[in-house]
Amino acid sequence: MIEAHTFRFLLTLATVILLAACSGGESNVASGNREGILYFGNGSEPQGLDPHVVTGVPEHFIIGALFEGLATKNPYTLEPEPGVAQSWDISEHGRVITFHINPRARWSNGESMTAADYVWSWQRLLSPALGSEYAYMLYPVKNARDFNKGAITDFAEVGVTALDDLTLQVTLDERTPYFIQLMDHYSTFAVHRPTIEKFGQMTDRYTPWTRVENMVSNGAFRLRDWQLYRRIEVEKSDTYWDRDNVKLNGIVFYPTENVVSEERMFRVGQLHYTGSVPLGKIPVYQEMADSPYRQAPYLGTYYYLLNTTRAPTDNLKVRQALSMAVDRDSLNKNVLKGTNLVAYSITPPDTLGYYPPKLFSHDVAGARRLLAEAGYPDGRGWPGLELTYNTSEDHRKIAVALQQMWKDALNIEVTLTNQEWKVYLDSITQMDFQIARRGWIGDYVDPNNFLDLFLSGGGNNNTGFADPRYDDLILRKAPQASTREARYAVFHEAETLLMEQMPIIPVFTYTSKHLIHPSVNGMPPNLMDWANFKYVWLDQDWRASEAGD
Amino acid sequence: MNARAIDDIARAEQGTSLWKDAWLRLRKNHLAVFGLVILALFVIIALLTPWIAPYSYQAQDLELGASGPSAAHWLGTDIFGRDLMTQIMYGGRISLAVGFVATAVALLIGVTWGAIAGYVGGRTDAVMMRLVDILYALPFMIFIVLLTVVFGRNMLLLFLAIGAVEWLTMARIMRGQVQSLRQQEFVEAAISLGLSPATLIRRHLVPNALGPIIVYTTLTIPNVMLLEAFLSFLGLGIQPPQTSWGLLISYGAETMEEYPWLLIFPGVALTLTLFSLNFLGDGLRDALDVRGAKD
Repeated sequence: MIEAHTFRFLLTLATVILLAACSGGESNVASGNREGILYFGNGSEPQGLDPHVVTGVPEHFIIGALFEGLATKNPYTLEPEPGVAQSWDISEHGRVITFHINPRARWSNGESMTAADYVWSWQRLLSPALGSEYAYMLYPVKNARDFNKGAITDFAEVGVTALDDLTLQVTLDERTPYFIQLMDHYSTFAVHRPTIEKFGQMTDRYTPWTRVENMVSNGAFRLRDWQLYRRIEVEKSDTYWDRDNVKLNGIVFYPTENVVSEERMFRVGQLHYTGSVPLGKIPVYQEMADSPYRQAPYLGTYYYLLNTTRAPTDNLKVRQALSMAVDRDSLNKNVLKGTNLVAYSITPPDTLGYYPPKLFSHDVAGARRLLAEAGYPDGRGWPGLELTYNTSEDHRKIAVALQQMWKDALNIEVTLTNQEWKVYLDSITQMDFQIARRGWIGDYVDPNNFLDLFLSGGGNNNTGFADPRYDDLILRKAPQASTREARYAVFHEAETLLMEQMPIIPVFTYTSKHLIHPSVNGMPPNLMDWANFKYVWLDQDWRASEAGD
Repeated sequence: MNARAIDDIARAEQGTSLWKDAWLRLRKNHLAVFGLVILALFVIIALLTPWIAPYSYQAQDLELGASGPSAAHWLGTDIFGRDLMTQIMYGGRISLAVGFVATAVALLIGVTWGAIAGYVGGRTDAVMMRLVDILYALPFMIFIVLLTVVFGRNMLLLFLAIGAVEWLTMARIMRGQVQSLRQQEFVEAAISLGLSPATLIRRHLVPNALGPIIVYTTLTIPNVMLLEAFLSFLGLGIQPPQTSWGLLISYGAETMEEYPWLLIFPGVALTLTLFSLNFLGDGLRDALDVRGAKD
């Protein structure tokens, strides 16, 4: 503990000295605006730059700049846009997708991209020997799961075929409307086969192929410099097919692990963008005129699991009473300093145009009535309830506030138990709890990503909720729906069914929080907290216009 | 020699008991008396807390949130709008109880164990002290986790568990003291008078070894209070909304930039207690160490 503090202190000190040393010259932001270089606070040093091996968010941004998938996303709408594939056809049943690769798509060494690159890359991702944690991204593909689990060993049986150099055909198990979105996840990106084979076998992890002098990529930018724990620089690629639309000349990623010093770097003009904002500073920035602080809904939900197989939460009325007694607005405003969005259902609002149903609201009288109907009028005869959370200051704050809300509204005792992360995970998978805290961050923007959690016996269900009607809607009706509206209507019906049974207490929707310099354009807030660097441009005249004010 | 000292000698010659003697010496040590008064005050407040606390310790006022000291809340409120003074008073109950009970357990086991081992000596001593060595080698955390897993979470158990691991050092100190005392003439005299070993240990050995034991005890109490905070943080000790000074301090430390009073006031309460214990411990050692006083 002491060591951590000392280290943090030294780091802060080092940053201050560094900043003092820099303050004589021009700031990064000023020179960056002139030269078209974006200075980006990227959270932490990437684990690596191999798209099939890494798993984190810091890697996401760097790899997103260096590589491009078959499809990419519009940062404003999150709708798929052509990437390496200039177009794609989806068969009538939705089970066969044919990607037409853009003939102008090039690797950074000038070689053309081919459908075979994808066949080889996906074989690499799915190979059990590589052990990629994101292999499941391709599980919708026919036989992909079996190949990844080692049940079949011949990759030819997996539903990926190169029909010719520029045509890739993918066969799915069933209609998967969000499959195109997965093409923008770095795990499904193509990697350059000759480069990887030069430095090892297909399934070797962390070979030197990702070093600056070796790396071959296919995105709008290419790797220019990588100084461990200091900075990663990428520059505009002159082989990228859509280079005329790339406005930035380069990006510098900083591993800004310490959020406090990151905020300081932003303040003195060393960064255009911060990966996060210290909670204590948020009120200060919120009150600022023309604040660089930006908070936007994020594709994640914070909720409590209710064990529907144990008393007293096996009683629907108890579950409803507990959920209705929570004053989410007060919690968010007073305890969380207004940094989140209150939630009354599992799916975040505006998930690609989908809005979840809101079946209840904060209602103390209603909650008391329900509890009385359940057999505990004014909390009499209450058997007690234990709330489990994983050890963290933020989770404790929320749990303590809820504990008292239940005490005040329903006159019931709830005890709190905190557990270390792995013990906690064990408890919830074994369903050895009564109420347990849970969070879910979506992998792709689709209600399915949240709603399939609660399928009967699902690995992340953890509540005992099981309803054949729900399973039927999610597994059968939704994939069959031919239009987005029809599909969302099915999801809405399913989510209504879910929230009527209240196996969870939704608390809030996460938000992303950043400081963004006003000269930065083309980086709109979105649910995935994701930037398409192709769209980003810096306003050169920003400083001049400020001086004119 | 001043008049008072002569007075003391006169009284001592009248044949006062060891304890009365010690009390007289202690009373003259102002710091020790100060410590005793503060401790007594804290204990009285802790005992009376349910009746004299200005607010309920769990009632929240989220609208109010964290506010600094004011007329309504003398020591301010925490982020849930709970009165900090009430929190400190309730926290004191737990911290002091853990401190005193766990230390008493450690004292009881440690002194008995060490005195027997030191007095009997030989093979018995070797076996008893090897057992202490083995217990020393056991990772303390695993021991506590095991206890809580087997018996569930229970405050009394927490006291006992902490006491059960803190007695080891006490036993070693006691054994060393007894071994050196055994060689002295007054012990031999007592043996030749036909005192039973139990009486001998109780009447002669333990009182003569009290000095270092008391000093160590005053060090153990704060140690135990911090241990409780650590265990509670890991989810093995007490759980919200119950609180203790150690927990209040650890929560306060996280928000010390925004709400410094949440760290300062519980910190002051704990520090005052620790100082008082140290002063009192020093004073008691001087007062009880017969040999030291006669030098």
